[in-house]
This record gives sequence, structure tokens and C-alpha cells, in this order.
Amino acid sequence: MRNRFTGAAVGLAAVLVFSSFAAAQTAQSQPKQVNEARSPWKYYPMDRAVGDGGPAPKRDLTGTWAGPGSGAAVPRGTNAQAPTAPPLTPLGKQLYDQNKPIGKYSPAGTNDPHTRYCDPFGFPQNMTNEIRGMTITTLPNRTFILIQYMDLWREIWTDGRALPTDVASGKDGLDPRYNGYSVGHWEDDYTFAVDTTGLDDSTWTTKNGYPHSIDAHVQERYHRDAKNDLTLTITMDDPKLYTKPFVLGEEHFRWIPNQQVDDFTCIPSQVQEYLKEMGDPAGFDPNAPPQRR
Amino acid sequence: MKTKVRMLVTSIAGLLAICSPMFAHHGAAAYDMSKPVVLKDAVVTQFAWINPHPLIKADYKDEKGNVQHWTMEMGSTPASQLIGWTRATLKPGDVVTLYVWQAKTGLTVGRFNKVVFADGKVMRDTQTGTDNGGRADTDVGR
Repeated sequence: MRNRFTGAAVGLAAVLVFSSFAAAQTAQSQPKQVNEARSPWKYYPMDRAVGDGGPAPKRDLTGTWAGPGSGAAVPRGTNAQAPTAPPLTPLGKQLYDQNKPIGKYSPAGTNDPHTRYCDPFGFPQNMTNEIRGMTITTLPNRTFILIQYMDLWREIWTDGRALPTDVASGKDGLDPRYNGYSVGHWEDDYTFAVDTTGLDDSTWTTKNGYPHSIDAHVQERYHRDAKNDLTLTITMDDPKLYTKPFVLGEEHFRWIPNQQVDDFTCIPSQVQEYLKEMGDPAGFDPNAPPQRR
Repeated sequence: MKTKVRMLVTSIAGLLAICSPMFAHHGAAAYDMSKPVVLKDAVVTQFAWINPHPLIKADYKDEKGNVQHWTMEMGSTPASQLIGWTRATLKPGDVVTLYVWQAKTGLTVGRFNKVVFADGKVMRDTQTGTDNGGRADTDVGR
């Protein structure tokens, strides 16, 4: 009986795997053909890169990429907005318990500073939440990651310098930053590793409210799987708040054929209109019985 | 081979994400998803194409002749565009039938389900647009 159940489960998994993979491949290899004039200035999410595009170029991430929120059928990553964190330290739990994420409390009840006020996500949340389009470009001594959502950029130094050790330490220490301080290097011809610290601790690590300290050490690995495929894995080590390092998530990106992205950002005046007209009146208590007024 | 395995794993995750009834921006806990309220012959007063969610505002005259002012949110602008919405899909003065998942607070706000135009054309919400409140945008592989 147990074997039969196991066999059925494996069979179901295989069907899911096959159908999912086939769907993803179909979506990517048979972009919708629309017989309309194409503007070189516009993003067309239904125009999708075909297949893997061939071998990955060496030591090159340059270009504009569609992320999981792009509308271009990019496979969703794992754990990116709600990772499985290890046990928190007492301080970590205290901070975590103060945060009321939107997924549980709705727009009306959350204290997520981005949801209520468009405050910056900060890094690393800006690499996992609302991750739509992204452009990577390089100078001889730096790599820049330009993120579509909120029109922001990250600066990653590649000149061999070490990460700072004096952020928020004493009167001469560096100030914490929303995106922290980042250095990067090639681990091999296809993997670019980025290390970041010095993060503004008013921001959340994840959409579901995990906190981080200024001294958190976040490592990203950008792996160029193929010409059209890029995979990002993010891990965080923050011993003040967590008992061991953990993986924040894995995100997949696909090459955008015309290299364009749209404008999409959080606009404070629109958020205030939305909350006043919709979010706040809708309430947030999932167990509240209807109270008609 | 490693790349294929990686793609396979991410594809499974992708399928699970698509199948998930969760909202992209927030959860559905605030809404009564058991049955949509039907606002027949509602008059659109504003279609606000804004972030994080566009808002449809409409006046509806109930059976007693009282005018109710409704506001409902729909899927984000990029997601809605994928299934044919534009900032001009609705305009003030349009007379339509709106289906909405009302907030549990009982106020005249809710999550948009679908709109039926005078000519019978139907347009749906991305995430709660099917008749049972499921996603209506799965065929575009978002």
C-alpha cells in the first residue's frame, strides 16, 4: 500500500514536473506573435527569449533581464519572499515580532514602511520583492545593478577593496545605507559573487517581515546558466539576529529580447489615495465578522 | 545537465506559484470570497490607473433607489495589461455590471471580480477574476 502511494505520489510529481517544464518551455520558445508595429521604446512581456540562446558568455552579465514579476513567464524562485529562517536570537525575535507583514495584516493593518509610505525596501529585499526588470552594467572598477521597481541602482566595487568594518561604529564610522556597501568578484567564468554589509536596519529583509542588523553579511551569487538564463542565489549571515546563516532565496531571470523595461514604481501620493479609498476601509482582521455600517 | 536540473526545479516552483491563490501584493483575508456582490447597471465615476492597484469607482442604485458609492481594487497595472486592460478600458459615465468581492467590514469597498459591458463583453481581474475567485491570467503565463 505504502509503495503504491509512493508510486502515485512520484507519478503525480512527474506529471507536474513534465507539464510545468513543458509549459515553461512552450512559453519561452513560442512567443506570442502579434502582427502590430513594434516600438523600440516599449516593453512587450509576451515577446520572450527563445530557448537558452546558446552557451553563456564568459564573465559577462551585461544586459537587461526579466525577473519573476516581469509578466514574461519567468519561473518563480524559491523562498524569496518568505524564506525558511533558522531560529532567531532573542533580539531577532523581539524585532521580528514587531513587524506586521502585509500578507497577514493586509494593507490596512501592516506596518510595512514600504506598503504604507513607499519607503525603500533596502537591500536585500529589493532583490526579492517586486523583482521585475533588472539591468546589469559594468565599469572597469564597478558593476551596477539597475532595478526597475523604484528606479534604483546598486553599486558593487570590483577593484579588490575589502568590505568596510566601521559602519555605524563611533563618530567617524560610515553611515549605514539602504543598499549597504558591496564588493564583487568572479568565482569562475560564469559565477559573479557579491558581498554586502552596512545595511540600514530600519528596512526589512523580506516581505514577510524578517529583520536584519547593520552588520548582516549578505552574499549573492549570479550564475550565468546560458545566454538567456541567469540565476541569483542569496544567503544571509546575521549572527546578532539569527542562530545560523540561511538562504533567502533563488531567483531566475530571462533575457529580454528588445532590452526594454516599463516604468513601475511606488508613488507616495497614489499609495495614500489607495489606502484612503480602498486599503484602509477594507480592514485587516481576517477573523472579523461582517459589520455593515 | 546542471542547468537543466536547475530549470526543472525553478519550473516546479513556477507552477506552484501560478497555482497559488495568493495575491501578488497582499492577501485576500479582508474580503468575503464566498459570493460576489453584483452591481447591475452601475455607473462608473472614476477609473484610477494607479499603483499599487488600479481603482474602479462606481455608483450603484439599490432596489430602494439609494445610491451606493463603491470602490474596488484590481490587479496591478502591469499584470492587468497582460490580459488586455488599459487605462482607457473604463471611463466615467460607462454603465456596466460589476461583480465585486466585498470587504468583510461591510463597507462598499472590495476586490474587483469582473465587469460585464453593455454589449455583453466581459473583462476580469487578474487574480480573482474567475467565477469562483481564482486567477484569470494563467493563460498568459505571467
